[in-house]
Amino acid sequence: MDLALVIQTALNGLANGALYAVIAAGFVLVYRSTSVVNFAIAEFMLIGAYLTYTMSLFFPLLLAILLALPLAFIFGVLVERGFVRPLLGRNVVAVIMATIGLAATLDGATLILWGPDQKAMGAADISQLPKEVPSLAFNLGGVFLSSKAVWSLILALPLAILLVLALKYSRYGVLLRAVSESETAALAMGINAPRVVAMAWGISAVTATIGGAFLAGAAGGGGPGHHLILLGLIVFPVAILGGFDSVPGAVVAGLIIGLIEAFSQLYLESLLPGITQAIPFLIVLLVLLFRPYGLLGQHRIERV
Amino acid sequence: MAEINVENLKVVYRGVILALQGVSMRAGAGEAVALLGPNGAGKSTLVRAISGLLPQYDGRVLDGRITLGGEDITHLPALKVAGLGLTAILEGRPIFRYLTVIENLRAAGHKLTPQRQKELTDEIFTRFPRLYERRFEQGGYLSGGEQQMLLLGMALLTEPRILVVDEPSLGLSPKLTEEVMRVLDDLRRDKGLTLVLVEQNARAAFSIVERVYVMEQGRVVFEGTAQEAQADADVMEFYLGGAVAGGFSEAKRYRRRKRWV
Repeated sequence: MDLALVIQTALNGLANGALYAVIAAGFVLVYRSTSVVNFAIAEFMLIGAYLTYTMSLFFPLLLAILLALPLAFIFGVLVERGFVRPLLGRNVVAVIMATIGLAATLDGATLILWGPDQKAMGAADISQLPKEVPSLAFNLGGVFLSSKAVWSLILALPLAILLVLALKYSRYGVLLRAVSESETAALAMGINAPRVVAMAWGISAVTATIGGAFLAGAAGGGGPGHHLILLGLIVFPVAILGGFDSVPGAVVAGLIIGLIEAFSQLYLESLLPGITQAIPFLIVLLVLLFRPYGLLGQHRIERV
Repeated sequence: MAEINVENLKVVYRGVILALQGVSMRAGAGEAVALLGPNGAGKSTLVRAISGLLPQYDGRVLDGRITLGGEDITHLPALKVAGLGLTAILEGRPIFRYLTVIENLRAAGHKLTPQRQKELTDEIFTRFPRLYERRFEQGGYLSGGEQQMLLLGMALLTEPRILVVDEPSLGLSPKLTEEVMRVLDDLRRDKGLTLVLVEQNARAAFSIVERVYVMEQGRVVFEGTAQEAQADADVMEFYLGGAVAGGFSEAKRYRRRKRWV
């Protein structure tokens, strides 16, 4: 076994995993605060990636990503206002069905707005060269890391960790956890629950945008297209492995699934072609069978 | 001028279930008032109506008016009502069970400056040393009495002018109930709060309030000072329970049932 290759695979896995982690962290944040499983999370990534693409037509890519984030935040808040708030107090299933409808709507909307073809970041037509964030690819002692991997590691991973810490220690984090437990009790204590919930949706859209932009190739490897929706499905195995209601769990699970994918690509793919895509979902099956509360899911507090 | 004034309030749930059928009550500034009555009398509904939380329970004010210090709050959302200085401790001890004691207090005091929050938190820990000992534990693991103390502490951190407490004695031992009542009374006097106390345990409530309202089936059926209530044979029999001459041995096996409505 080649040590350099193993290290390289591990780092690449972690890099991809970091992207999964931020997206899943945002997804879980929404689930925590509203009990809504957002089936439109893949479309959030898609919208985020397309917003980044549109911005990249006018600005350097790094700046374009930064500019896309506030837009994504507004988009998330609008979704909350338009789709989730009116259904507040209804059966949770009703809201979940609404997110499925939202997913279909957003799918169609992106088709109309941006067309069916895959874009290249910053290129209005195929004659132009795609833009990329400054290349950080390096080769150290036989360990080669692509620019995309480095960017993911230095951007997505700290962001995911920041999200975990903010939820644990910041004022808004405490409020969000309070609201997630009981909106009524929070309101009775004068906590602005609607605003906290809107924040959660906004942040979720922001993390999906970062994940979407980089998965779509902000650091090389194409641009946004509808294949992102398939990539977005990875959020569900990650969230389930993490415990579904735990943001730290989602981050750890994202990294784990990234690693597993990378090593499966390296060792298993030649034996069982296609196994890499299936593995996350096999993990879901095992988790649901043997550890339904995942890695760090909340254990119910029950006093008798 | 009355701090809280409820006039002829009618409340429905889900558009059909009439829970309050014209209730009037008031509490003057700095006064302590108890709402007594059996299960389903509409006490908690009145609490929800006053604190603006009816929409959370799919309820609606049909008719009548609630004013707070002269301001009409009948249809005001809960957040605005809280902003006016009214804090409600709902029934069932609604602390945040997955938050630690400290985090519960932080959540309740989120509007204060960090310095003020620290002052008040210190004060709460001096009042309830037990909470300080357990400050890093999740609220869900506290005992019933500790949870009630935590709730009072949280209410204190919202710096209310008016405190509405729904059934603080529920599920507590008589000794703890007494303790909770004492603390509530202390808090009220120290902070000059207006207190609306909802209780089924009338005996406990009498010890700390000036006036009582007895509710039954969505109506107020008795109104008077705590002394008047205790002098009233019917109120005593039905809401204090067991005030039968000669003790339990002579009490009828099936208690006489009386309704005012």
